[in-house]
Amino acid sequence: MKNKLLALRDVALLRLEQLDLEAWRVEYLGKKGELATVLRGMATLSAEERPVIGLVANEVRADLEEAFVARKAELDSRQAALREQAETIDVTLAGRTPYLGAEHPLRKVIRRIEDIFIGFGFTVEDGPEVELDRYNFEALNLPKDHPARDMQDTFYLTEEILLRTHTSPVQARTLERRCPETPIRIVVPGRVYRRDDDDATHSHAFMQIEALVVDHGIRMSDLKGILLQFARDLFGADQEIRLRPSFFPFTEPSAEMDIRCIYCHGDGCSTCKHTGWIEILGCGMVHPHVLEAGGYDTSSLTGFAIGMGVERIAMLSYQVEDIRQFYLNDVRLLEQFATLTR
Amino acid sequence: MKITWNWLSQYVDLQGLTPEQVAEDLTNAGIPVEYLAPVATGIENVVVGHVKSANQHPNADRLRVCTVAVGAAEDLTIVCGAANVAAGQRVPVALAGARLPQGPIGKSTLRGVASEGMICSASELGLDVRLLPKDQTTGIFVLPADAPVGESIVEYLELSDMVMELELTPNRSDCLSLRGVAYEVAALYSRKVSMQAPQLRTPPQAERPLKVEIATDRCMAYAGQVVSGLSLRPAPLWMQMRLLAVGVRPINNIVDITNYVMFEWGQPLHAFDYDAIAGGHIIVRDAQREEALVTLDGQARALEPAMTVIADPEKALGLAGVMGGESSEVTANTRAVVIESALFDPLQTRRTGKRLQLRSEAGMRFEKGIDPAATLPALARAVELLCAYGGGAIASGPRLAGAALADANTRHDAVRQVAVRADRATAVLGFTVDIEQILSVCERLQFAAREENGTVLVDVPSRRPDIRIEEDLIEEIARLIGYDHIPATMIAGSLTAGGLSNEQQLTRVATDHLIALGMQQVVTYSFVTPAVAERTRLQPDDELRRMIPLLHPLSEERSVLRTMMLPSLLEVAEYNVNRRQLDLRLFEIGTVYLPESLPLQKQPTERRVIAGLLIGQAQAPSPLSESRSIDFFDVKGMVESLLKRIGVDAAAQYTRSMAPFLHGGQAADITAAGSPIGVIGKLRQEVCANFGIDLTDAFYFELSVEALLPLIRERLHVVELPRFPGTLRDLALVVNRALPVSELLTAVRSVAGPLLDDVRVFDVYTGEHVGIEEKSVALRLSFRSRERTLTDEDLQKPIAAVLDAVTIAYGASLRG
Ligand SMILES: [Zn+2]
Repeated sequence: MKNKLLALRDVALLRLEQLDLEAWRVEYLGKKGELATVLRGMATLSAEERPVIGLVANEVRADLEEAFVARKAELDSRQAALREQAETIDVTLAGRTPYLGAEHPLRKVIRRIEDIFIGFGFTVEDGPEVELDRYNFEALNLPKDHPARDMQDTFYLTEEILLRTHTSPVQARTLERRCPETPIRIVVPGRVYRRDDDDATHSHAFMQIEALVVDHGIRMSDLKGILLQFARDLFGADQEIRLRPSFFPFTEPSAEMDIRCIYCHGDGCSTCKHTGWIEILGCGMVHPHVLEAGGYDTSSLTGFAIGMGVERIAMLSYQVEDIRQFYLNDVRLLEQFATLTR
Repeated sequence: MKITWNWLSQYVDLQGLTPEQVAEDLTNAGIPVEYLAPVATGIENVVVGHVKSANQHPNADRLRVCTVAVGAAEDLTIVCGAANVAAGQRVPVALAGARLPQGPIGKSTLRGVASEGMICSASELGLDVRLLPKDQTTGIFVLPADAPVGESIVEYLELSDMVMELELTPNRSDCLSLRGVAYEVAALYSRKVSMQAPQLRTPPQAERPLKVEIATDRCMAYAGQVVSGLSLRPAPLWMQMRLLAVGVRPINNIVDITNYVMFEWGQPLHAFDYDAIAGGHIIVRDAQREEALVTLDGQARALEPAMTVIADPEKALGLAGVMGGESSEVTANTRAVVIESALFDPLQTRRTGKRLQLRSEAGMRFEKGIDPAATLPALARAVELLCAYGGGAIASGPRLAGAALADANTRHDAVRQVAVRADRATAVLGFTVDIEQILSVCERLQFAAREENGTVLVDVPSRRPDIRIEEDLIEEIARLIGYDHIPATMIAGSLTAGGLSNEQQLTRVATDHLIALGMQQVVTYSFVTPAVAERTRLQPDDELRRMIPLLHPLSEERSVLRTMMLPSLLEVAEYNVNRRQLDLRLFEIGTVYLPESLPLQKQPTERRVIAGLLIGQAQAPSPLSESRSIDFFDVKGMVESLLKRIGVDAAAQYTRSMAPFLHGGQAADITAAGSPIGVIGKLRQEVCANFGIDLTDAFYFELSVEALLPLIRERLHVVELPRFPGTLRDLALVVNRALPVSELLTAVRSVAGPLLDDVRVFDVYTGEHVGIEEKSVALRLSFRSRERTLTDEDLQKPIAAVLDAVTIAYGASLRG
């Protein structure tokens, strides 16, 4: 009997690769299969023989089952391989890319600058573009016929209503609305208008960002501190700045801020006209007349204001040569900004 | 404002300084030097020559063969082609081996005669010929007869003098004179200004009577003096060269002297032909209505009472501070002049200049304000120069009128006292400023100052009208100590949380979402042409036609403020379509300007609008998928996704739109919670064509930010997830084709009872299996209970209710 079992195993293993796997299983391991048939003969065995043969029989069954599993795995994997081969694609073909949108570069710059000032604790304020002469000029220490009004040729809609020439009227409005509240820390992005013919560096409409701080004990050194941090956030951690005296009717003292040229790092190039510095923005301590117009007490309160042109920063940052590019909205140019995370 | 280095050095000690250094320091002190360069460069070996003879060239009609002495042992033979060359002239001669701005000069042979150099024209020397008189530019540059033969032309014409152009801020009108710049440079380097103010002189006997009178409040001071015995000729060459260098055209000795003194002192002067002034009587008065004057430029001007004129008892002689009159112009026959040095009202000068579109160096100075302390010295200086270079003699005493000159002879420099506190300066600047430093700054500025109880009282001279309050002096202190001295500190005071308003936040989220959906943000101008009303087919009574006009537009194309975003986006689309960019997904969150009425009475409402324009393919092209044009539902899907993303809770309703620019069958007004929030649809072909977009379908949507804001959820309460499974039932309902699916859904929701969790359309079928007027709408209803698993029995009632309702309301039947 033992020999019979062993012979059965050898034949079965031999035929494993010849038969269909399921047919093989039925033939050898099935309830009516050969192994079962042999085992049915166990009943004729003696009590001494029975456990010995049982052991052999279990061994044979285990071997066959093992062989079955191995064979099945082999066949499965062969089949999978065939299927995958049939399903093979050219992975070098481009994917189905969804359309990629992009933020407009001017909006990108505005958001970046807003975020820097939000980080400093400033809130973002808006104001009307169609403004009253009073807020655009008079409250900002620019009375009628002030020669400095010439600096800003204005689009008037009526004698008293105009398109704002800067974002500074939002300073005047905020002071008037929030007086006597302190501290004031606002940043104001927005569109402004000047009666300039459009050319590579001028646009009749452009964007400004303005920042204003009013509080007890605000110093010009605080202005410099904020500007330094701002310049480093925007242009890099080792950015240097310098302040030069300047004039704005609504600040006193006033300054222009230059940054170290971001292209030549100070060695001199055509962008910085070989000075190593690039003018970025105007700023200064809020003129007492502006604070007074807002109702604030100038003996105990001071403040500073910062104003910059968004296009100028965008032109510098992205090396755009012509301001009109921003308003032509050629999608071939705009699409390039999809690739910029900041 | 241009100056030259040599000219400046006449008034302030520049020893040991270089123009480059001074330019840099001025820039850092708030007087930016925009330009610094020699009068002319690249000139070597050019000397003053004396033309001894000029004879006809034997072989060429147009050439002359000249013998020229150049201070060397041998005279040179030079062939010259200029028509104006003549024996006896002094001329610039480029020697063999000389260098001119255009290049080197060698020996050459011209038509058989060897030329040992070249006689130069003004342009060959690099001079600005636009400012030179014609006879000096058409041929060679003829020098005065006393020009020293053999002297280097660079020395003689001061061509190596450095020209500096200052870009002055409007407050620094004091630097519109060499005097002002001299004080500024003196302050930078703690030097003294050496500028003598000549005294006005009265001749022993006045040969020519002169009377001046002010009969208007628009003239604060008027001083005049007669100089006679003048002969009109060119001004000395050095004076011409300086005027040329600062951009003023040399004309004759009298005019040049008035200009020269204006640059020196900042006080504009005018010379009248004395003989043209009736009775030697000058009256400054307002112009009369319909008074006429022919100005120096030959133009007949109609005057208005708002203008101020210089007149004699009979007629107007000139426009005060703006331009003289032709009748009193200095001519070759002029022998005596009245020199006018006056203070005119800046506003009237400005307005008159603007009105007549006359801008001049003089007018610009009057507009910015003149130092009254310069009025009399400037007059005296001009008289002095006319005597020296015009052959003139003083022929009247100085005649003064006006309050500003009342005590002119005693108080030369009117002052304003301004106080500055050391502690205030420290508090404003952020670094310690003490009394000593303030006094030192005042000394550098040559302001008299003294301390009183921690306050410095400063006598600010009238030459610095920009300094009026303490902060102005604090700026002077910071400026002269140097802005570099200001440390960088952090703001003290309470912490504030920065952030965005709800509207700003909404705008940002909407921007990001639309970009994520593949849309390109654009930024367009707010000015449009009024023709957009027609192009977008607005009805005659449409409120959107009320576009605010600019008073002085730059062009018709940009002459009104937009009332809708559509034209702006179409303009961008047209630009791109013309460049073969045919897949466009543009959006802008822009502003429209809606006036209450026109003409404008008050500020308009500025409304922020999210607007999008889509053209082209629904998906980016790929070899893997078939291309399909974008359609209404692509765009609607974007809008729905946007509304969901920004947290609009209320379900938006889409009802057929009558917007004049949209397709009659593919357009919807969008409302939510009962209020209109926007519009969406396909643009009418005609509207696209009006904007030059012919070949393609375009879709447009706009949403009002103002309308969305109140609809936006402020909080999110998470809905507990269901513990029991839901049950689905599909119903295919055959209804009339025209029935909006949204109505069917509303009806289902209203009758299906509390167990209905959701209902959506999963298929809409039209075709052979339903009637021509019908469609089959397949609905998937999802039922769910929070308490238990639902049985078939639970669903019988709601399903029956739904079927009853849609059958009664819409005649719907179940599709078999
Ligand atoms: Zn550079």
